[in-house]
Amino acid sequence: MSEATFFLLTFILYILAAVCYFVFLFSKKEGSAKAGFTLAFLGLLLHTLALILRTVESGHAPFTNMYESLSFLAWSSVLAYLIIEWKYRVRRAGAYFLLIVIAFMALASSPLMPKEAAPLVPALQSYWLWLHVSVTLIGEAFFAVAFITSIMYLRAEAREKRGRMSGTGPSAEKLDSISYLAVAVGFPLFTLGGLVFGMAWAYKAWGSYWSWDPKEVWSLITWFVFALYLHTRIVMGWKGRRSAVIAIIGFLAAMFTYFGVNYLLSSLHSYV
Amino acid sequence: MKALFHFFTSVRLAIVLLIIIIIASVLGTLIPQGRSAEEYLVRYGQLGGILERLRFTRLYQSFWYISLLASLGLNIVVCTLTRLTPKIRRGFRPLVEADPKNIQALKIKERFRLTVEPGAAKEAVKKELARRRYRIKESTSEGRISLLARKRVFGWFGSDIVHMGLLVILTGGVVSGLFGLKQSLSFVENQTLPVLEANFSIRLDRFITEYYPNGSVRDWKSDLTVIEAGRPVRQKTIEVNHPLTHQGYVFYQSGYGWDWQNPTLQIWAKKSSDPSYLRKLSVKVGEKVALEEENLKVSAVRFLPDFVLDEKRQPGTRSLEPNNPAAFIEGWKGEERIFSGWIFARYPDFSRLHGAKEPDLSFELKDTKAPQYSVIQISKDPGVPFIWVGCSLLMAGLFLAFYWPTREVRLVIEESGGKSEVTAGGISAKSQEAFRQEFSDLMSAARKTT
Ligand code: HEM
Repeated sequence: MSEATFFLLTFILYILAAVCYFVFLFSKKEGSAKAGFTLAFLGLLLHTLALILRTVESGHAPFTNMYESLSFLAWSSVLAYLIIEWKYRVRRAGAYFLLIVIAFMALASSPLMPKEAAPLVPALQSYWLWLHVSVTLIGEAFFAVAFITSIMYLRAEAREKRGRMSGTGPSAEKLDSISYLAVAVGFPLFTLGGLVFGMAWAYKAWGSYWSWDPKEVWSLITWFVFALYLHTRIVMGWKGRRSAVIAIIGFLAAMFTYFGVNYLLSSLHSYV
Repeated sequence: MKALFHFFTSVRLAIVLLIIIIIASVLGTLIPQGRSAEEYLVRYGQLGGILERLRFTRLYQSFWYISLLASLGLNIVVCTLTRLTPKIRRGFRPLVEADPKNIQALKIKERFRLTVEPGAAKEAVKKELARRRYRIKESTSEGRISLLARKRVFGWFGSDIVHMGLLVILTGGVVSGLFGLKQSLSFVENQTLPVLEANFSIRLDRFITEYYPNGSVRDWKSDLTVIEAGRPVRQKTIEVNHPLTHQGYVFYQSGYGWDWQNPTLQIWAKKSSDPSYLRKLSVKVGEKVALEEENLKVSAVRFLPDFVLDEKRQPGTRSLEPNNPAAFIEGWKGEERIFSGWIFARYPDFSRLHGAKEPDLSFELKDTKAPQYSVIQISKDPGVPFIWVGCSLLMAGLFLAFYWPTREVRLVIEESGGKSEVTAGGISAKSQEAFRQEFSDLMSAARKTT
């Protein structure tokens, strides 16, 4: 079977997983959430195979054009989500989170994204491609988890304020602490992949570790937003609503770094 | 002075600075940076001039933006230093004695009695703590035993190490800005060029472009020789992502180009009356070559690698890539020019020769060869080591701050009628849940052993 077939099967599994998680939202039966988790996990395995096949077929890292990179981002997101769910049992997030994953997969499959594996341009022929892109995207995947749990926090908080308990869903407080835990994983990874490895590679390839290129500036902006998140929380004791809003802005900044810079601003980084 | 100092110690300032820097940085990506005044005028009209005066058009190099970063740096220094001394004292020379009342005020705490005398109780508790890798300090005063048990104390300093890393990185940036050198050199093969402010030169021995089967570029490679005092001392092939470092100077393969001033053109002459007639001419721009039996001389007057007609319908070149090579040639019989016109390598049918008295002859531009030059960027940046040291501190600090949570357990054991009254409390800034669990396991284990 070819990479495209695996990709399609993966996509179908993610959609089925999302359906199960949505059924769980309404039926509140643990079984559906478990089925969702299992399907997403199977999807992740097939997706891993698809990425490996892609690497073998193209002979280079599977993130050198927008199709590959979206596919890898979807893969990282599922990985990040499954880890967080497995450790902290936030089943209700699955339905919403998989919507993001499906959006990435759908964008990747859209006819606008050329899928042929093109040979690598000289600037990308480096092991730093692996280190820089994979670690950054995995970091961003954890920001995506914080994004969803922060949105859920805002809704849960509004509900609890109206005097209703959150029912079977996780409490607002738990969602707040899960957002923090996701940022606590995402922030070091993003720092390492995006900033440290990014500077190392830029120095190796272009001769200067920092050029104030729009992609670099937007990574820095994203990073500053999460630094803001950590400081307001740790030092000023902000929690809850304000923290959630900062985490949401942070993820949107990350997505702008990822898409916006490529499509809206001109950048040295426009390989993809 | 004191007020200023206080102002810089506040985390509130850090937050305000971060927000301002974020907004300024966003602006800098929305306004194209470093373009010409005319371009800003076209794009923004009157506003263009104002943006330029406020340096929004070279924002990241502007005094005010750099001042913002410097203020953040100063803020970090002051903020970290003022907190560091008490933190170090608490980290390395902590007060062991504790008052049970203070312990009772902690969030995680427990109080229980053990049916043994305090000495035995202490040993039992210590054993349990040691099993969980706590390091223990103790002190006894007024018949009251105080224990301070901690682990992963370094985690405490994670944030300080992160901040120090950032300062080192900022310092690196300043050093790069003040002392960094950058130079871009274009070499043709066998050319030797001196390196700015260095006592050696660089010679390009060979330059090649490698292609993939589909025609796109795979790599550029330059064989470089370092020449010191006239003698070659080092040789290396550099390619993209694989620079050469010599005496702190780094040589990067950054681009390539053709020397279109000196191309050699391959021109084929054909005759419509005689299909077997073919003469291959090799002409340099500015030269005349003879087409012997025709008693004719052909000269190449001008060459354009990427031919295009501009608005005034004048020939020009769109780029320096050989996308549409074209040559202007002339035919001479003695002192008389008998034809002239453009011939195109990609579009032989478009060739038009005017005034041709030899309608029988046609010319095709078959190939163009120009010396290729290699563009090599040279940089010497003494700020770079700071960056790597800073990044290492940053990552180590992040690891400590997030994944090396310091845990602290304080116990006071008091005697009461031959038995022991134990008051215990725990502090952990991170991973509260896990710590709560460990604390309660610890306490129940301590109770059981006696
Ligand atoms: C971009 C700049 C900065 C970054 C990336 C950064 C990073 C960090 C990190 C990762 C932590 C640990 C957070 C945690 O444990 O959850 C931290 C803590 C802290 N930061 Fe920063 N920081 C920055 C700037 C500043 C500035 C300017 C100040 C000073 C006003 C500051 C003051 C603090 C304080 C007081 C703590 C808490 C220390 C502790 O409780 O251990 N930071 N910072």
